[in-house]
Amino acid sequence: MSIKTLHFPFFLLLTIGALGQQDSIPQEKLKEVVITGQYNPQSVKKSVYQVEVISRADIDRQAGNNLADLLNQSLNITVMPSSSTGKSTVEMFGLNSQYIKILVDNVPVINDEGLGNFTDLTQINLDDIQQIEIVKGSMGVEYGANAVAGIINIITKKSSKYKWEVTPYLQEETIGKEYNGINKGRHIQSVRVGHNINPKWYTYATFTHNDFDGFLNNKQGQNHLFNDGLRGYEWLPKDQIHAKAYLGFTPNTNHRFFYRFEFFDEETKYFNDIVDPNYNPATDTDDPIAADDIYGSQRFVHLFNAAGKFTKGLTYDFYLSYQQQTRDIESFQYRIRTGEKFDVKDFEYESRKAYFTKGSLSNFLDSDVIDFQVGYEVNEIHGYASSFAGEGMFTENIKRTLGTYDVYGSTEINIGKRFSVRPGARALFSSKFDTMTALSLSAKYDLGNGYDLRGILGTCPKLPTYEELYTYFVDVNHNVQGNPNLQPENGISAFLHLNKIFKSGDKVNFDTIFSTWYLNVRDRIELVAFLDDGLRYQYGNIDIYRTYGASLTSQMTYGNLGLNAGFTFSGVSKVLDSAELSNDDYLHSVQANGNAFYRIPKWGTTLSAYIKYNGPEYQFVTSEDLNGDPVIVRGKRDSFTSVDATVSKSFDKDRFQVTLGARNLTDIKRINTNALQGGAHEGAGTSVLLGYGRSYFLKLLYKFNFG
Amino acid sequence: MMKKLLLFFVLFAGFFAGCESEDQIADQPFVVAFEKRSYDYSRIPQHQTVKLVFSESAKADGFVRIRITTTNAEMGVDFDISDATENHELLIPIYRGQTEAGFVFENLIYPFDSDDKSIKLDIIAIDYPQPSNIQGYTSTLISFERSLGATTAPEIGGPNEGNQVYFDLSSETATQVWRDSWDLGFYCGDEFRVGINGSIYMAVKKLDVTNIDAVTESSVSQYQSQVSVGTFNPDNAAYIDYPSGQISGTAISEISSDNHVYLVNLGYTVGTTTPAPGSVAIAGEARGWRKIKVIREGEGYKLQYAELNSATHQEVSIAKNPAYNFTFFSFNTNSTVNVEPEKDKWDLNFTVFTNIIDGAGSYGYSDFVLNNIKAGIKAYRINVSGSVTYDNFDLADVNDASFQDDQRVIGADWRDVFSGSAYTDRFYVLKDSDGNYYKIRMLAFLNQNGMRGYPKFEYRLLQ
Repeated sequence: MSIKTLHFPFFLLLTIGALGQQDSIPQEKLKEVVITGQYNPQSVKKSVYQVEVISRADIDRQAGNNLADLLNQSLNITVMPSSSTGKSTVEMFGLNSQYIKILVDNVPVINDEGLGNFTDLTQINLDDIQQIEIVKGSMGVEYGANAVAGIINIITKKSSKYKWEVTPYLQEETIGKEYNGINKGRHIQSVRVGHNINPKWYTYATFTHNDFDGFLNNKQGQNHLFNDGLRGYEWLPKDQIHAKAYLGFTPNTNHRFFYRFEFFDEETKYFNDIVDPNYNPATDTDDPIAADDIYGSQRFVHLFNAAGKFTKGLTYDFYLSYQQQTRDIESFQYRIRTGEKFDVKDFEYESRKAYFTKGSLSNFLDSDVIDFQVGYEVNEIHGYASSFAGEGMFTENIKRTLGTYDVYGSTEINIGKRFSVRPGARALFSSKFDTMTALSLSAKYDLGNGYDLRGILGTCPKLPTYEELYTYFVDVNHNVQGNPNLQPENGISAFLHLNKIFKSGDKVNFDTIFSTWYLNVRDRIELVAFLDDGLRYQYGNIDIYRTYGASLTSQMTYGNLGLNAGFTFSGVSKVLDSAELSNDDYLHSVQANGNAFYRIPKWGTTLSAYIKYNGPEYQFVTSEDLNGDPVIVRGKRDSFTSVDATVSKSFDKDRFQVTLGARNLTDIKRINTNALQGGAHEGAGTSVLLGYGRSYFLKLLYKFNFG
Repeated sequence: MMKKLLLFFVLFAGFFAGCESEDQIADQPFVVAFEKRSYDYSRIPQHQTVKLVFSESAKADGFVRIRITTTNAEMGVDFDISDATENHELLIPIYRGQTEAGFVFENLIYPFDSDDKSIKLDIIAIDYPQPSNIQGYTSTLISFERSLGATTAPEIGGPNEGNQVYFDLSSETATQVWRDSWDLGFYCGDEFRVGINGSIYMAVKKLDVTNIDAVTESSVSQYQSQVSVGTFNPDNAAYIDYPSGQISGTAISEISSDNHVYLVNLGYTVGTTTPAPGSVAIAGEARGWRKIKVIREGEGYKLQYAELNSATHQEVSIAKNPAYNFTFFSFNTNSTVNVEPEKDKWDLNFTVFTNIIDGAGSYGYSDFVLNNIKAGIKAYRINVSGSVTYDNFDLADVNDASFQDDQRVIGADWRDVFSGSAYTDRFYVLKDSDGNYYKIRMLAFLNQNGMRGYPKFEYRLLQ
């Protein structure tokens, strides 16, 4: 991709954006209030951070039930499903879910491997969500450790204008071509009940059942008798229940309290593709057996928030939360012919329990010129990993507690009406690691004529994982060890965003953003051969990951028509001091996305379409030359394009909504790659699972609103 | 409005109640078969239960009809089977819920008077209300002849694989030996050679010294990290017996009247931990080090040995016994010990083994199967393709030129540790010391609970 072709779409979009004379802020934008990284909720326009918002309307147009349904359309974000664990995790700027923090209402959400990071996106239900806010870049000052590549903050709905609101919906989806209404396909049933008890008290509860019956593709399911690798599923079946409850109290306009409770239960079935034929030569019959697992995850979240303003203008925001998620495993031998389970073992596989509190005070001076925020964040995470977690590399069960005690502060200074700057710092004290710091410096300059320029510099540490700390796999032929003395990795990012907002009359809105960035993770933890005998491995802080890039996105609305388009270009370089052979050249890739929606008010109908192009991605992998000597080659993952389209129509005064859609119209399943590195005992894969093919859904939703 | 709400929830409930249906599984017929293909008449002192096995737990009552055919043997004189009818038939009931049945064969001529007598039993009918079939081991032979073959599971001891199991195919005899019960094997053939115990990952290094008392821990400490199995240094292949099993490949040089001192890594005791299903825990504690020197003493050997730092040594004379491959010596007891059966009384050894990986040196293998190459027992592998299958293969298909000069023909390549299953695309032919040809196929190396260290194989006489 030459610079010339890169420039073209940028200039095109910017030129379109600059066409009009009458510059002003689009109304829809004005309404878009964000809370991520803000002292107080405020408009996207005023935010020092560049906050991307996925609105409820976007979620509804895609009939998104969980986060995995949704994020694939965003630039620089990829959803990575795993066929072995059934989890779908997020990747941002090529960094995996360890480097990305997922929060609900500003509070990191727990999962069985971590608090905020490692999140399985399919476990984050969206039925009570108002919007999703994404901030890319290291956000250590605002959100603490592990927010290296960025954060995804999910904001729940906290009010309703109706006295009673009962919203049930049914959603049926095919999984690729597989659907039979019973045990093939995806079946969602949900109901949400909201109630304004009186003007001060609001409550709601949601209940959602999401039955994902798995994707067979060429596999043969549970009852396959042969050891040909075809037993089981390409995507594991899971059955989830989400229940949430909310109670909000707003005594007056200055204070607001809420308590939110969440219960989540998931069952994931793993059917082993290895079948022991258990052949009996005497009778010339078989009795095939497979070692299967059923994983059961349960999550409880309690969250209390108090926020408001004292008379002198001082604002406060306080969170208290207890969360836990446990993944249990039932591991058993399964006689395929008879369905008999035997040698059943039940045990806890992995869990995290966390106490979390966070509080901040701001607006000390009640001044438009300068504002401070000081805050603290304390969490204590009790982690457990059985010896079977961590790819079986723990020889014993691991039970550890990690406390993190942070204080942070920042100040926002407005110099004139156009320029604001916000330096910030956080000190992270830890029960295990040396004291860490995170720094940030953000600035926003209003260039006039609808142009805004934002510069954001941030740092963030990333804590080592259990695997990296506690792996212990030593026998006569192997020696792979974790390293309890590991220190956190250090991320730093710099972003520059140029934003142009343009409005013409009531009908035309334009919002164009050009962003460029550099992100660097130092002291990356990798397995290193130690001693010179080359046979003992231990994790060490050794590598560097760095990426830079630029993107251009543009949103346009013209009356009932909405159009978004984006393009991004990035380069990734890895300095692998852990590897004997490596190449730290930058490898480049491109992505482009677009979506369009058109409302036909007369028919109550909205048409929308989404497209995303993921260019080829490259990675250096070790291979062998003709003489069998190791060489570094550039592996490639093929490009792919995904397309979604939906039609939704409202009946009965907008109360009954029918959404009919198709996901993955280009039928993406596995994408060829030779960019995967094989391990010591396994060859490299030749394809990566990214989707389950073209599928269709129908969603029927009814709003019963009273009062 | 309320009506709509109600309707919606009825619909809703309908979806929740949706029950899961299962796919159909192809059925197998019900089979009753003999547990064994043959019995050794000479080893039935009084009576022997002849067992019938069912393919599954019987779902109904029934009968199996067996015909008795005799050769030079007479019922009531040479043998007896209770309940057998005048016309040489047997009717054995199948009871619902049972997985096996049986009857008693009585030997009336023990020890024996003539070895040309035999009795053949054939299943001729299965009377069962559901689909059934006569297949598998449909007959069994009671004779004084070699074994016709069997399905057997050598007891190597589960995931610690504590036993070496020596198996004789023609007599269906297994001999178990605890892996770390011996250290050195003194060759009893023409050559003067000493082997080490690869099943506990021993390793030895020749020192530039001939005086055993001159060796101290400090004089050898520089070598200790490399005189070990699994160091991934290709040079360490010199410290183990060459794995093909040729006696000329021992790590210790041929024994003459004088010899060098060797540094001996005694490997590991048998592991005691219980690993995750599918894994092994072979190695326990390190057994330490010795220094040894072996010299010829007439037609036998003299072994000098001591702890590394000992200024003195012990000496023991070890004689050859030509009926055996080796005379074995243990540092646990400081004496010779019984390990292998006589050399013409075993064909296969199921054991942990030290092999060599090209480019990576010595590497410890579990689930290994060796053929008794030192007694000339050779084998070769046949890959299943087209009409070449284990079932079809017979004596005419044997190619004598294919037999390998290597004890690792079955080796470890018979099982896939990642899938936990035995390969079904290969089988083996072995020629024993009596000139019998057997075909062998490996069936499993995990038990039904997925635990490792439970090998199972089937073999059949080619005739």
